[in-house]
Amino acid sequence: MNEIAFPVKDLMRRKFQTGLTMIGLTICTAATIFLTLFGENIGFEITLVTGGKLTTGFSNVFSRFIFTISVLNVLVGALVTSFLIYLSMSERVRDVGIMKATGCLSNIAFGYFLTELSIIVFTSCAAGTIIGVLTHLTCIHALNTMGFSVSQRPLNLWAILFIFFIFIVASHILGTQPIIKAIRVKPAEALSPLYSFGTTSGEPGKLASSKPGLTLKVAYRALMRRKSATRRAIICLATVLTLTTITIAGGITASQTTQGYVERAVGRDIVIVGHPDLTRKYVNLLSQFFEAKETESIDYLDSRYRISESLVSELSAISGVFKADPRLVLETTVYEVPGVIIDPEEPNQYIPVGDHRLGEALVLGVQPERVINEWLVFGRVLNETDVYSAVIGDSLALEMFTDPQKQAIMVFGKNFDIAGVCLDPLNNGNVVYVPLDALSTLVDGQLSYNFLFLKIDPSKSLQVLAEIEKQVSGTMLEPLELNEILGKHLDFLGYIWSFVMFLPLFSLATATLCLLSYMMLSVTGQQREFGIMRALGAKPKAIVKIVFTEALIVTLISGAIGVFVGLFFTFEFLIPEPIISHFTLISVAGWLVLVLVFLCSSSLYPAVKVVKKSIVRVLSQP
Amino acid sequence: MERVVSASSLCKDYQIGSLTIPALRDLNLEVEEGEFVSMYGPSGAGKTTLLNLIGGLDQPTSGEIVVFGHDLSTYDEDFLATFRSAYVGFVFQSYNLISTLTALENVAFPMELAGWSEERVKKRSEKLLRLVGLSHRANHFPAQLSGGEQQRVAFARALANDPPLILVDEPTGNLDVETGLKIVWILEKLKAKGKTIMVATHDERITRLANRTLHLRDGRIVATDE
Repeated sequence: MNEIAFPVKDLMRRKFQTGLTMIGLTICTAATIFLTLFGENIGFEITLVTGGKLTTGFSNVFSRFIFTISVLNVLVGALVTSFLIYLSMSERVRDVGIMKATGCLSNIAFGYFLTELSIIVFTSCAAGTIIGVLTHLTCIHALNTMGFSVSQRPLNLWAILFIFFIFIVASHILGTQPIIKAIRVKPAEALSPLYSFGTTSGEPGKLASSKPGLTLKVAYRALMRRKSATRRAIICLATVLTLTTITIAGGITASQTTQGYVERAVGRDIVIVGHPDLTRKYVNLLSQFFEAKETESIDYLDSRYRISESLVSELSAISGVFKADPRLVLETTVYEVPGVIIDPEEPNQYIPVGDHRLGEALVLGVQPERVINEWLVFGRVLNETDVYSAVIGDSLALEMFTDPQKQAIMVFGKNFDIAGVCLDPLNNGNVVYVPLDALSTLVDGQLSYNFLFLKIDPSKSLQVLAEIEKQVSGTMLEPLELNEILGKHLDFLGYIWSFVMFLPLFSLATATLCLLSYMMLSVTGQQREFGIMRALGAKPKAIVKIVFTEALIVTLISGAIGVFVGLFFTFEFLIPEPIISHFTLISVAGWLVLVLVFLCSSSLYPAVKVVKKSIVRVLSQP
Repeated sequence: MERVVSASSLCKDYQIGSLTIPALRDLNLEVEEGEFVSMYGPSGAGKTTLLNLIGGLDQPTSGEIVVFGHDLSTYDEDFLATFRSAYVGFVFQSYNLISTLTALENVAFPMELAGWSEERVKKRSEKLLRLVGLSHRANHFPAQLSGGEQQRVAFARALANDPPLILVDEPTGNLDVETGLKIVWILEKLKAKGKTIMVATHDERITRLANRTLHLRDGRIVATDE
């Protein structure tokens, strides 16, 4: 038989094991490809792009998440492949023994099994790549169908090839190890009925006394007898569950955190008062976050747009208005001003940072003590004593500055020190907040407003709105409630994260495959003993209970490790300043419990399969 | 005397691919309470198949097998498990001990399944191991016992729930002469206790103990020695 025909026939003969391995690797490859393409397409770069700059912004939360999950996916893919190949080899070691006993050279036997590995890896990675690309295209199409204009960027073939290559190499490296181990087993050992590749460790777990009950005792002893395989299963499953936990906990928390950031930045129950041209423009600028729109240029300083101090006072006095925040909003070109920092290599030296980049930004003059927004700010917010200080949006900070908090920004020819960077969806983060007095002085020498932001009582919103309308009637101004636009922001983020939340399904499928494969091995190894137990009077459900208990022990140990590592990583490193509500905790806990229950339940399949076999047939097997 | 086993027109075929192999053909048999029946015959004669059918491990292809008044072909797996636990003690040719349990735990296993109290299980397991002369090996795992010792543990386990029917398949087939004698001694003791015993064997020392010896060939009883 030639070098290809044997491995192909062999794989076909072992459809179930081959299928499990291929599905596992396909899922991991597909998930990584999907994440990378999807993340790149919606405009966020993989995290390294922002490395060395600010660690802020929605893009950062998203790209960190994607990067971490991608790395873990590659690791899980390789580990799962290795584990499944290991399980496969543990069933094949007798075949290896027979091959060697009949004169087959070790390197030829190795070649056969390596060819099998290569067939599995190449086929699965190719299938995973196709599925990943198709899933990405489907998600983009779905987002567009739902009304969010997400442009379809050309597929990044280099990224696809890179991931494909990484999976091929990692799977080969880790998958070859168990083959080498199996080939090294001596033929006499391999053919001995007492030998079991990596599944026997002499003493079958003396730790368990008779006290915990028959089911637990038998299950624990069986796991301990397969120490090596059990250890591998736990490592593999713990890694997969770390990934699952990060996708679930990270996904839910990141989704709620980013939605929280937006809600704090836009504000809830906010009514803006301004000229219709300006309110329309403002809504357009706010919508840039989820929908690219052309906006016409406007003269913000037109006298028609001005809001008088007396109107501000009257509107502030309306019952149900909690806070009034008058602003002067302008659009202009802003310039980066280089700064100096201490040379990290020579602490007594200063080195310049930054350049002289420029960009268009929305400049908002605010009275710091009256600001109603609660942005997530890196650095500090403006205070009443600030004169020439600014808080800039995260996109501006990332795109125009090297080290923003050590630099200044030039607005209307005046330098403003950058006090902080805020997450703000307005004008897609290209915003500069400066003290109103300073801005007014720079543009026309007197204090003036063209927008008024009112925080109102949600329980009286209709009455308050009616009262505001009454007050502004006769002027050219109109009130506009922002809750609807805020809702769109939240929906957009919700939709994006809901696609990312497919990932727990990917990793759950991978985890199920791992456990299922391990349990198949475990049950196959024990089926004779289960036959004996049944012959002695054990009912089928007693056997199912033993198998379920084995799965439960493995799942709980792996789950404890995976969930702990996953949660620690998520909340410590993945999401800056996570917003964790009771709902977040309940959702995360609920999902994780569901995952563990689902995992354990999957073990029922091999258990039910084994009790359906005839006792006599099972006992007659060697 | 109560009739323990009643088989009529019993047939059992095994299907291997498209091939049908008849293991038992139109077999009729009756065994009374307290009888010691040995079965003799070449390999493939149907001895083990008959023991499996009597013990409720397998179902006949046709015919009827009634054990302690229960027609075993009509019951589901749960009932058969309870039946085996209460009525039958098995001793297999290849011992079939549970490798992850110690000798004592193997003996205790059927009692634990039957829901006996922990203390009662412990006492009886120790007593049975003493009976087969293996008290000193109680905490050893099967892999640490010799073939003869494993067979004696299997006997102790078969007696665990004090079943009225003991089915034994080639108990001395894999043992040396001296160890085989110990097994014969155990069977003698069981016979003296009034247990109904059916043994598939080629060992004349055992057939000499039997009230009846059935000669099986090609799935049929071809002769009976009283």
